[in-house]
Amino acid sequence: MITYKKVNDPYGNFVGLFKNNEWFIPIAEGNTDYQEYLEWVAEGNTPEEAE
Amino acid sequence: MANLILKGNTSGQVTIQAPDEAGTTTLTLPTTNSTLATQNSLGVRNLIINGDMRIDQRNAGSAVTANGNFPVDRFQIFNSTDGAFSAQQDSSAPTGFVNSLKFTTTTADGTLTTTQATQFQQRIEGFNFANLGWGTASAKTVTISFWVRSSLTGTFGGSLRNNAQDRSYPFTYVISVADTWEYKTVTVAGDTSGTWLTNNSVGCRLTFGLGGGPDVSGTASAWAGANYSNTTGAVSVIGTLNATWYITGVQLEVGDTATPFEHRPYDMELARCMRYFQIVPIAGTAHNSSELCVTGTFRVDMRDTPSINSTVSNRPGYYNGSLNTLFNVGYGNAGVGNAYFAAGVVDKQGFGQMYVTSGLTGGRLYAGGAIMSAEL
Repeated sequence: MITYKKVNDPYGNFVGLFKNNEWFIPIAEGNTDYQEYLEWVAEGNTPEEAE
Repeated sequence: MANLILKGNTSGQVTIQAPDEAGTTTLTLPTTNSTLATQNSLGVRNLIINGDMRIDQRNAGSAVTANGNFPVDRFQIFNSTDGAFSAQQDSSAPTGFVNSLKFTTTTADGTLTTTQATQFQQRIEGFNFANLGWGTASAKTVTISFWVRSSLTGTFGGSLRNNAQDRSYPFTYVISVADTWEYKTVTVAGDTSGTWLTNNSVGCRLTFGLGGGPDVSGTASAWAGANYSNTTGAVSVIGTLNATWYITGVQLEVGDTATPFEHRPYDMELARCMRYFQIVPIAGTAHNSSELCVTGTFRVDMRDTPSINSTVSNRPGYYNGSLNTLFNVGYGNAGVGNAYFAAGVVDKQGFGQMYVTSGLTGGRLYAGGAIMSAEL
């Protein structure tokens, strides 16, 4: 079960996602983890909001 | 000693000299309309990285068991079956090699359905595959060579596929004797159809099938507009409990003839692996409780902006999001959690800032390290 959680920087800017609380995924089109995240969203899933 | 001398029409000559020793040395010329010098690069001709399974930055030889894991650098295992496996770098190897990759089936799945599959795969970056001209009329022939052994015998499968996985070429190789290293070669005429990427995305997927359902298994030795990772009727390693499969010396080169494995220097091969995965040191001063001011340059430019892992354990000085092990110089391990880099200041070349959720003390010096992954 894959989980994603949005990550904001200390100034409130959305900078990426935590995947399974193990990986920080940057918002980068060429990053295959980010590509997998986009596919996951396209399947109807929604990430957890940032704290 | 005997010399064979070929003289040019006007000047110059080529001398082929036979050694003054017993035995036969064979010089094999290509069968296609080409020459040795132009058909096959004499250096850095192997498009596979870490083909001799020497480098294992992630696991240091420990076994992996999860779908998507990398048991050694650049090689990834996918398993969508109901079976389970263990895979790791191993010291069993044929003469001339030190390491191999060992795959063991720990839970068998004897009946694979639809797209269920177990695959051992390396994805070749498009930049390194572009000169093959695949997807055009001038697509070059390639030859795959490797050493393999298994507790099972019979006809095994594999494939070459493009990034979109809508072009594939299933191939076979036969293991004749159980638990014995055997050398295999497979020659594939380049694909003149389909889209084969030539940038920093996947140029080609070389897959060794360890089991495949009917929907991902195709006819051997023919290009297909389908996603085949294996060959119909191939031996299923995942189908037999405790079955083993080893591989090393994997080479994929231009041309219709397999040349001896290209043993590249360790530092060269490690640097090539680091384009996709590396551990980088971190040192910087905390600005406040959640901001660490650091800058760093990757040891090798990465393929793309990397993902960052923060779960390194048992490594003093390396931060860990769960175990709070960012080292606070002069004060011991820091009580910080969920370290991460801001995406705006990390790219292919390096990074410039790290944020943590809390726990830093402004003005103190912190050190650690971070795992970067820009795998294909």
